[in-house]
Amino acid sequence: MDADRDLQMSDIELGDLQRGDKSPRRFPRRRQRERVPDYIDWKDTDYLKRFVPERGKIMPRRISGVSAKDQRRIAKAIKRARAMALLPFVGD
Amino acid sequence: MASQRTYEVMYIAQADTAEDDITKLNDGIQKLVETEGGSIVRIDNIGRKKLAYEIKRKKEGYYVLLEIQGSGKEIAEIERRFRVNDTIVRYITVRVDEDRKAAEKVRSKRENRQNKRGNGSKSGNAAGDDSAEAQDNE
Repeated sequence: MDADRDLQMSDIELGDLQRGDKSPRRFPRRRQRERVPDYIDWKDTDYLKRFVPERGKIMPRRISGVSAKDQRRIAKAIKRARAMALLPFVGD
Repeated sequence: MASQRTYEVMYIAQADTAEDDITKLNDGIQKLVETEGGSIVRIDNIGRKKLAYEIKRKKEGYYVLLEIQGSGKEIAEIERRFRVNDTIVRYITVRVDEDRKAAEKVRSKRENRQNKRGNGSKSGNAAGDDSAEAQDNE
C-alpha cells in the first residue's frame, strides 16, 4: 500500500529534485510502520525506552515509524514517566 | 452511580521513610476515598527505586502506586495532602478510564475485522501479533 510506494527509490529521488529550498525535506520511510499496543502505559519504562535513545530525547517518528496518533500517545507517556523520574530528561 | 472515574496516583516519598509511615499514609488515603464514596482498586508499594535524575539531591525514592475509583473530589484532597506532606517528593495523577476504554474499543474493532476475514490471511496474523503485544503491556 502506501508504505510500499514510499520505499521505491524513483519516488524518493523525484521528491528530492522537486523540493524547493523552502519545502521540508521528505524522508523516505526507512522501515515498515511500527506497531504499537492499544494502551500505552506511562509506567512501562522498558517499553518506552525503545523510543528514548541514549541522549534522552524522544525519538522522532520518521525514525521510529509510528503513526502520528501513536507518536502523540508515546510522547505523552514518556513525559509522564519523566515527571516521576522513571525516565531521564537528559541522558549522559 | 454518577460518573465513576479511574485514576492512577503515583507518589515518590523520601527513600528513608519507614514502611510504617507509608502504610499509615496509604490507610489515610483509603479512609478518605471511602468517605467520599470511591474505592481503591489497588495499592502497589513498588518500594525503593533509583531515580532517573536527582530530586532534592536524592538519588533514590520510595515509589507507591494507587489505583482509585471515584468522582474526582477525593483526588483533590489527596493532592492537597501530598503538597503539605514533606516526605512526599513528587506525585502524579493520571486519569486512565478514558484511555483504557479507547484501547478496548480499538481492540474489539480489530477482533471483529479478524473474525470477518477468517483465519490464515496475512494481515490477520499481523493483527494477532499485535494483540499479544498489547496484553503483555497490561
